[in-house]
Amino acid sequence: MKINLYFTALFLLLLQKGISQSRASDVQSFTLSNGMKILVLEDNSIPNANMYLFWKVGSRNEYPGITGLSHFFEHMMFNGSKKYGPKMFDRTMEAAGGSNNAYTTENLTVYTDWFPISALETIFDLEADRIGHLELDPKMVESERGVVLSERSTGLENSNFRNISEQVKGAAFLAHPYRWSVIGYESDIKNWSIDDLQTYFDTYYAPNNAVVVISGDVSLEAVKSLSKKYFEPIPAGPKARPVHTIEPEQLGQKRVVVEKQVSSPNIMLAYHVPETKHEDYYALDVLSAILSDGNSSRLYNQLVDQKTLATSVFSYMPESIDPNLFYFYGVASPGTSPELLESEMIQIINDIAQNGVSEKELQKVKNQKLVALYSSLETIDGKSNTLGTYEMYFGDYNKMFSAPQSYESLTVEDIQQVAKKYFTKNNSTVGYLISPENNTK
Amino acid sequence: MKTFYNLINIAIVLISFSNYSLQAQSNFISPAYEHFILDNGLKVYMVVQKEVPLVHFRAVVPAGVRQDSKANAGLSELTANLLSSGTASYDKETIETTLDFMGASYNSSSNMEASVLTSSFINKDLPHVLPILTEMLTKPSFEEAEFVKSKQRAVAGVDQSRESPRSVINNYFNQLVYGKHPYANIPSGTKQSIERIELKDVNRFYSDHYTPMGSVIAVVGDFDPTKMKTQLTNLFSSWNNVGKVKNNRTVLPSLDSSKVVVVNKEDARETTMLIGGVGVPRNISDYIGIQVINTILGGRFTSWLNDELRVNSGLTYGARSGFSALREGGSFSMSTFTANETTEQTIDLLLKTYQKIHKTGVDSKTLESAKNYVMGQFPPDYETNAAIARFFTDTYTYELPLDYIDRFNESVSSIDIVKATQIIEDYFPKENMQMVFIGKASEITPIVSKYGPVKVLEITEDVYE
Repeated sequence: MKINLYFTALFLLLLQKGISQSRASDVQSFTLSNGMKILVLEDNSIPNANMYLFWKVGSRNEYPGITGLSHFFEHMMFNGSKKYGPKMFDRTMEAAGGSNNAYTTENLTVYTDWFPISALETIFDLEADRIGHLELDPKMVESERGVVLSERSTGLENSNFRNISEQVKGAAFLAHPYRWSVIGYESDIKNWSIDDLQTYFDTYYAPNNAVVVISGDVSLEAVKSLSKKYFEPIPAGPKARPVHTIEPEQLGQKRVVVEKQVSSPNIMLAYHVPETKHEDYYALDVLSAILSDGNSSRLYNQLVDQKTLATSVFSYMPESIDPNLFYFYGVASPGTSPELLESEMIQIINDIAQNGVSEKELQKVKNQKLVALYSSLETIDGKSNTLGTYEMYFGDYNKMFSAPQSYESLTVEDIQQVAKKYFTKNNSTVGYLISPENNTK
Repeated sequence: MKTFYNLINIAIVLISFSNYSLQAQSNFISPAYEHFILDNGLKVYMVVQKEVPLVHFRAVVPAGVRQDSKANAGLSELTANLLSSGTASYDKETIETTLDFMGASYNSSSNMEASVLTSSFINKDLPHVLPILTEMLTKPSFEEAEFVKSKQRAVAGVDQSRESPRSVINNYFNQLVYGKHPYANIPSGTKQSIERIELKDVNRFYSDHYTPMGSVIAVVGDFDPTKMKTQLTNLFSSWNNVGKVKNNRTVLPSLDSSKVVVVNKEDARETTMLIGGVGVPRNISDYIGIQVINTILGGRFTSWLNDELRVNSGLTYGARSGFSALREGGSFSMSTFTANETTEQTIDLLLKTYQKIHKTGVDSKTLESAKNYVMGQFPPDYETNAAIARFFTDTYTYELPLDYIDRFNESVSSIDIVKATQIIEDYFPKENMQMVFIGKASEITPIVSKYGPVKVLEITEDVYE
C-alpha cells in the first residue's frame, strides 16, 4: 500500500543515516558513586554546550500548606550558596558568557545552563556549590515571595488558559496533588517558612535524585573528570518518600464555571489518562495529533475552518509520572455559545471512539512525529531536553531513539481503542470561562 | 519559571539579533552560501546543512505592515494569512492534506517590513513541497469564502488580544513613538479597519507588493545545491508581477515632549507598562555596541533593571529593555509589570535606574561581563536551518552586511569605555520619554500625571490620535 511504502522509506532513511549525527550509541552515560546519573552527547557543531539538570521533584511532591514550593524552590536555587553568595550565581555565569533558566512542572524541576565551552568548569563549580551548599537567606526569601506573586499574577492577567486550567485541575482531581497549579495558592506563597524550604532541599536535592544531561562541544573525558571533581563529593541522600496517592476513579462528569471578562467563551475538557510509561501513551499521543495538529486535523478542520464555531482549538497531553489529564481547549467564535462548542467538540471526539480513524490519518501523524523528532535534534538544546525528557518520563533515554518504531507499530484499532477507553462522559471534567453577563444559566 | 523572555514582545527583529555575539577564541563563522539572482530580480540564498535530513524554505516579500494605510490596517496580515488558502492549481484542502501528510510545517505571516512564507520538511519531499510553496507565493487564488472566514477570525482576534495587556501594549507605544510614520500601524488592524477590507483590497495589495523584485528566498538544509538551483529557477522564473509601490521611505518624526497614555482595563490585577522613546535603524554600525550597553541596562538577568526591580525589591517577575530596530528607524523601550498598589514605586524605581546610565555610565568590569555574555550567547542563535535562513533574508530586509556573523566578534571586542560612553550619549534617550500603562485607570492616572500630559483610553479603543 502506498501509505506504508511512504513510511517505510522514511524509516529506512532513519536507519541508514541515524537520527542526525546522533545515534543511541553516541549518547554516553555514567553514574557517580553518590547516585547522580550523567548523560553526555558530544556535538561540536557550535563552540557551545549546555547542562540540563533534571530533578525528580515537582508540584506532585507537595501538600496543602506548601503548594507551589517546588517552583518557589527553583527560584531560591539562584539566591546564594556557600562560595557564591546572593546574586553571585548569575553574575559569575553571565560574566563567563553563560546564561541560564529553569522551569518547574507537576513532575520535575529542570535547570538549564547555556554557555561557551570556555565556561564549562565554571558551570560545574556553580552548580556543585548550590547543590551541595545552598544557603537560604531570609532576606532573599522575602523578596522572592514578591517575585513569585508577580509571576502568578502576570500569568492570570495575560492568559485565559491559566485562569481556567487551575480550576479544571482542581475539579478533575479529588485526591492527587495534580489538583493544584504548579505556581501554588497565593496564601501558601505568602506563608511557607524557611524550615519548609530547608526540609524540601534536604529531601529532594540529593544527587541521587537528579539526572544531568550535557550536550555540545565537550569530550566525555572532560565531563567525567569535572563531574568527579565537583559533583561526586556531594553526599547522597535518603530516597525521597514516594507519592502513593492514587486518584480514585471518577464516578460522574464534573463541571466548573469561571467568570472573567472575555470576548467569547473559552472551554476546556479534561479526561483522566494514564501516566507516560503506560502502554497506551503512544496511541493517546497520536490521537491528540489526529484531533488537533495542523489545519487538516479533525478539530481544527471542522470547528475552526468548516463550521467557524471556534477561532482556535487544541488538545494537549503533558508527559507525566502519575496518571494525569488529556486536555482539549477551544475558544468560541463571537456569538457561539459554550454549550454548542462543547457539544461539537465532544461529537468529534466521540466519532473516533465509535468509527475510528483512517489509515491515512494515522500515517500522517507517524510522518509528523518523525519530522518533529528530527527538528528537536537540530540543536544541542533540543538534544539535551529530549534525552532528559525520555530518561525521566519513559525511564530510559534510549526510548528517544526507538520512538519512531513505537509510533510505527500502532494500528488504527489501537487509536480507536484508547478513544473508547478514556473519552467517556463519566471520566470528563468540563470548564467554561465566560463573562459574568453571560453566566445566567 | 525563573525568567521568561520577550516579556512585552519587544520586536520581531530583535529575536534574531539581540544580545548575541561570539566568543573571541571560537572560530564560529557564517556557513558557506550560494547566491544567485533570477532575471525577474528574485534573490536566492542556498546553504547546505547536513545535520538532519530536513530542508527549511523561507521567502520574504516587501509586503509588510508598513505598506498598510491607517484606513485598512490589517491588510498585510490578512493577505499573508490567505496564501495557504488555495492557489491556481491546488485548492485549500489539497494544500493542507498534502503538506500535513508529509509532516511538512508551513506558515505565512507579516511583520513591519515584509510578509514571510516559511516551510520545513523532509528533504526527500522537496519535489512535492516546492511547487506548492511556489504557487502560494506566486498564484494565490484569494477566494471569497476563505477571505470571509479569515476576516471574521481577524476581527475576533482583535478582541481576544485585548484580554492580554502584554499582547496589545506595543500598539499604543508605537503610535506614540512613530506618530504618522507607517511604523505606527497596528499589525493586526482594528475591528473597524478589518471590517472595511474587501476582497478586491487583498487582490490589489497582492499585486502591488508581492513582486519578485525586492523579494528574497533562502533555502537551508540537506539538499543538492545544483539541483535546487535548477528547481528554483524553473519554478520562479515565470513570476513576473512588477507591482506598483516602490521605495516609499518617509522621515520618522522627532519627539519634542513626553506623553503618557493610560489604557483602562477594569478587571486588571496588575499594571503593565512600557516606557521609552526613539531608537535606531537596524543597520547602523553602532548596533552591536548598543546591544552590549543594553545588556547591562536591561538585556539579561543581572541587568540593572531586573536587579533593582526584581531581585532587590521583589516588585515584579521581570524588567527589561530593548531596541526594536527596523529598516528606517526604531524604538527603545523598558518594560515591566507590577501589582496595582506598587505601581508608583515601580515606575519611580525604573526611571531612577535608567537615569544611572547617563549619570554614572558603565564601569569596565560590567562592560567586560556584558561583552562576554553577548559573545557567549551568540552561536546557538544560528544553529537551526530556520535561523540561518532568517539571517540571510534579514541581511537583505535590513540592509546588513553578509559578513555580520564573521565580524561580530571583532565588533564586540572593540567596545571600550570611551566607545560605551559615546553610545549611551548618542542612542539612549535622555528626555521626551513616551509611556504606556495598562491597568486600572482610576488608580494609575493620578500617579502618572507627573510624567507628562495624560491621555486615558479604554482597552476597547485602539487608536491614540
